[in-house]
Amino acid sequence: SLTDSHIQYERVGADVTMKCGSMDWDAAVTWTANGTDIDESHLNGSYLILKNVDLTQSGQYSCYEGSSWHLKYQTYLRVGTPPKEPVLMCRSNNYPKGFYCSWHLPTPTYIPNSFNISVIHGTKEMVCEKDVFPKNRCHIRYLQLFSTVKYKVTLTVTNALGKNSTTATFDEFAIVKPDPPESVVAKPVPNNPRRLEVSWQNPSSWPDPESFPLKFFLRYRPLILDQWQHVELSDGTSHTITDAYAGKEYIIQVAAKDNDIGTWSDWSVAVHATPWTEEPKHLTTEAQVTETTSASTSSFMPPPTTKICDKGAVVGSGAMAVCWTAGLVLAAYGVLFI
Amino acid sequence: GDSWGLFTFLCAALCNLPALPALNCTEEPGAGHSIQKTYHLTRYLELQLRTLAGTYLNYLGPPFNEPDFNPPRLVRVERVPSATVDLDLWRGLTDNARLAANYRAYSRLLCYLRALDGQGTAELRHRLGHFCSSLQGLVLSIAGVMSSLGYPLPAGGSPAPPGTSPLAPNDFLKKMDDFWLLKELQTWLWRSAKDFNRLKKKVPPAVVTLRLEARGF
Repeated sequence: SLTDSHIQYERVGADVTMKCGSMDWDAAVTWTANGTDIDESHLNGSYLILKNVDLTQSGQYSCYEGSSWHLKYQTYLRVGTPPKEPVLMCRSNNYPKGFYCSWHLPTPTYIPNSFNISVIHGTKEMVCEKDVFPKNRCHIRYLQLFSTVKYKVTLTVTNALGKNSTTATFDEFAIVKPDPPESVVAKPVPNNPRRLEVSWQNPSSWPDPESFPLKFFLRYRPLILDQWQHVELSDGTSHTITDAYAGKEYIIQVAAKDNDIGTWSDWSVAVHATPWTEEPKHLTTEAQVTETTSASTSSFMPPPTTKICDKGAVVGSGAMAVCWTAGLVLAAYGVLFI
Repeated sequence: GDSWGLFTFLCAALCNLPALPALNCTEEPGAGHSIQKTYHLTRYLELQLRTLAGTYLNYLGPPFNEPDFNPPRLVRVERVPSATVDLDLWRGLTDNARLAANYRAYSRLLCYLRALDGQGTAELRHRLGHFCSSLQGLVLSIAGVMSSLGYPLPAGGSPAPPGTSPLAPNDFLKKMDDFWLLKELQTWLWRSAKDFNRLKKKVPPAVVTLRLEARGF
């Protein structure tokens, strides 16, 4: 019927002419855009002329017969662009199970697009199963391993205004890139002010670490410096840093790679840790500690001050006398050896 | 597991029997160590091949030295057993079959590589020669692993000399053959790293060997 909804796609910058259905050119009509009347200056007879359309002009356009106000024509105008060359990326984060490809458009088209992906291996066409989430992603299972023939993936994107495509060709081994290691934990080591113990796990997406072992790359730096230190580890999922600066907070990350093929994963989530430091002693006990040490230790101790024999710290006057004597003896020693 | 216990018992039992010639139970690095060595050899060769292939493909010229050169595989006589294999099949290979496949492949690859000798620049010939020596070392290393595990070496060592096999009818097809030879070699080296990884896990690191020493009664 005449009032059926109809969608019209036009390019940004195009000139659009809309006819009022089957009405004659010289018929008296009124056009509206999203319910708002359109000024007569845009009309050429009963045709609506939109020059150099832009995105803001998308909307519902309706045409009414002059006096009766009958709806004669309606269309939904969608202004957009044909697709630019899409960006395609294929990667195997679950070797040897298979690989996935994901894609996106570098700039939006503002109108609906459909994607078609084809995978050719030698003479065989393979099916790439589309993922539910995220969309714009599909996955393939390897039927054969250690292939000498490359895979050729072609992605075509189509919309009402045009189409575009891109192709990626690669060897099975070239696209292997694991996900980053998981559950990275960094802990101080008690009584070791320069150590940090780091541990992590294989990425859960890597299906067979027994036959396809991963190696790891660890990087760490104190927050206050820009320079990273690196350690490459060919096995094991833990490492002890032994050259940390005492008392400084560190930032640590780990990456993974198949032992023999492919490329390094992205860096893991960063973890922070500070090496163990000795607890500062409480003030009331400090006097008793220094009292003991000054009586038994070296001549390098400076002559004790009256602080040692703080009235509050010492119990009983007898102790006070002993205190002073010890102080004098040590002062004598101190003078001798300075 | 159980076999270990039995072995140790046997060793202890035999060593304690006074009437027999004295038996020396010693632990040697054995197969596990050789597997590790062979694994490292494949990695070394893979690295060497990258330089060699680059030089050789440049010598062949375009389109062979183009990075996205992806020709269809012409069905000619399969000279070298392909590394390509079904995943479940590869997983299920016995140690013997796994090693034998590697041994056969590299023996033949070595033969065909040697036939490339005498081509190209002096630098290329030198690199090829060096690579062939290393590849020979790999073949011997695999043979060593097989014999230490008690597996027989695959029969029919070397195939018919290249001169007698059907030659490529023209220069371009001959270059294609060379291209695929290098491709096949590269793929085998990638596969071998995985093969030897699997073997490393399955063969114990030390093998107890019994040495019979005749001692005067």
